[in-house]
Amino acid sequence: MMAIRARILVKPFTLWIGFLGLVMAIGAIAGLIVFVKGLGVTNLTDLVPWGLWITIDLSAIAMSAGAFLLCAAVYLLGLKRFQPVARTATFIGLIGYSMAVLTLLLDIGRPDRFWHALVYWNTHSLLWEVTMCVTLYLTVLLLETAPIFGKLPWLQQRFPGVSRRMIGVHHLAPYLALIGLFLSMLHQSSLGATYGVLKARPIWYRPDLSVLFMYSAIVGGPALTVLVSKLAARLTSRANVNDDVLERVMIFIGWALVGYIYFRFWDSLSMTYTYEPGRTESLRMLTKGVLSFNFWVGEILLGAVIPAIILLVPRLRRITILPFIALALVVGGVVAYRWDVNMAGQLVLLTYLPQEIEAIYTHYVPSLIEFLSGAGIVAYGVLAVSLGVYHLGIVDHRQVEEEVEATLPVAAAAD
Amino acid sequence: MDKPNMKRRDFLKVAALGSALVGGLRLVRLTSASETGSSPHKWAMVIDQSKCIGCGYCTLACRAHNDVSPDISWNRVLEAGNVGDKKVFLPRPCMHCEHAPCVEVCMVGASYRRPDGIVMMDYDKCIGCRYCEIACPYGGRAFNWEAFSGPNPAVPEWGQPEVERRPRGVVEKCSFCYHRIDRGLELGLVPGVDEAATPACVVACPVQARLFGDLNDPDSAVSQALASHAYFQLREDLGTSPRVFYLPAGEEATT
Repeated sequence: MMAIRARILVKPFTLWIGFLGLVMAIGAIAGLIVFVKGLGVTNLTDLVPWGLWITIDLSAIAMSAGAFLLCAAVYLLGLKRFQPVARTATFIGLIGYSMAVLTLLLDIGRPDRFWHALVYWNTHSLLWEVTMCVTLYLTVLLLETAPIFGKLPWLQQRFPGVSRRMIGVHHLAPYLALIGLFLSMLHQSSLGATYGVLKARPIWYRPDLSVLFMYSAIVGGPALTVLVSKLAARLTSRANVNDDVLERVMIFIGWALVGYIYFRFWDSLSMTYTYEPGRTESLRMLTKGVLSFNFWVGEILLGAVIPAIILLVPRLRRITILPFIALALVVGGVVAYRWDVNMAGQLVLLTYLPQEIEAIYTHYVPSLIEFLSGAGIVAYGVLAVSLGVYHLGIVDHRQVEEEVEATLPVAAAAD
Repeated sequence: MDKPNMKRRDFLKVAALGSALVGGLRLVRLTSASETGSSPHKWAMVIDQSKCIGCGYCTLACRAHNDVSPDISWNRVLEAGNVGDKKVFLPRPCMHCEHAPCVEVCMVGASYRRPDGIVMMDYDKCIGCRYCEIACPYGGRAFNWEAFSGPNPAVPEWGQPEVERRPRGVVEKCSFCYHRIDRGLELGLVPGVDEAATPACVVACPVQARLFGDLNDPDSAVSQALASHAYFQLREDLGTSPRVFYLPAGEEATT
């Protein structure tokens, strides 16, 4: 009897939070080991200096792209019915960028000097630009999510003044959407260019990477936002969605995927025409070598083609379970793409001996510590979003009407 | 409930704060970035592959003088095939590129190029992001994955440390022994001629396969060698313009 009662008393949500908390705690210990012992505990080497963490960092930023896209749609294009989706996306964006910052803190050799990135400028460096954009955009996201946090019941009761001010930031939404669009376009593509400007790595050295990074973020960001919205609505009564609105976003993702497949196809095909030392070997690694499963199955088949079909065929899209699978596959596909890009340029290196420039192969499998700390960061993200759904109502499409009313005078003032 | 004036004022506040922040950062930059200017010198190294016997003394001398960890080589000696039946070697210091990819990509400006052509590392600025390692086509950079503590096995046999040991978590590389050059010039010595003002690897080479000197001085050993010999640079196709030149081990050189 007692056992049954205890089982009923522990709500599934508590179990879920407990599980995420555990993964986070293990990740925190792993992270602490990294800080104390240094990056020697990773499997990174001088030949493969960027690994799993960089993939998580890049993926978290890509997955946050829903925020700027939907805010631009709502506040700049005037598609007001997407406003509640933009709300969800903005919160996910804030969490995603904070995940990226956490991962970078793990990854840099001197985390105590993280502030150097803001103070010492080399304006010629792509990473300088990315750092500036990410920092400024994180500020924008904090302002954009201030109204969400302002509605926390506890805050409203204890500090009604603070709460009112935070909710009031909502009036800045159109300006913030514009700044967010500008900053996001810059750094989402610059992350691709970070790789794309490196002449020493032929598979990366091409302008397409910035376009593809931008494009895949446009696909992956909204996919995660819709996935979280639909999952939340399915799992808890605290979330409430308007399926028609979400379906519109899914159709957008479907068409965006078609465009992405086209660019990806053209980009890969164009590299097959001539032999180029290093680049050809990397491409072979993607299409036939150790990365081939990731490439063909993870990125292309499961990551793009199948979800595009599901999201664009109305009959398939309306089968309850399929959109969930499709959106999860899109997210997985973008992560696979980030991993493949990062690895393809590092698993193949070019020698610099004068007689023959030939390709040599390197090896990298993340260490346990890298996996655990990475999982901890992902768990932090999932936990934050879960709590957001539960306590901040970040997935609540019933709030639409009043919010749109509230923005009207701003639109007038902005004109 | 909504007062348009209030929010416009709020917006202006945010804008003012933002521009003050950007302005502040600008000031910091202006005071920190002052390494422009010109130099009468243009340092370069010439490595004669026909002379190099692959003994690795240069690597060891470098380890001692620069206090480099045994896990790291600023100055690797690679096997580079055969000419006739003689093995050919390729010693590889930092190339000190004129258009150095590492300097271009470093987000904090920890990698920078001096007017005299030496590509420097500011170990106090480096945050250890390793972008420079990824960007360098020559594998010339090494990250301090572990702290180098304890005695240096190359000391004292191969020399005494002349520079501070680098901490864990930063990237390091060959510096053309800038400290020997700078101190030597102060003492009125000529780098490349006087041993105390010349990079340790050049001094340690038992077969004089390495030359060092000023390309702006037509009488310097490097200028003379480049004027009278065929030479090449590594990965010239990349347009990095290395300041390390190689004299190839041709057939005539071995006979």
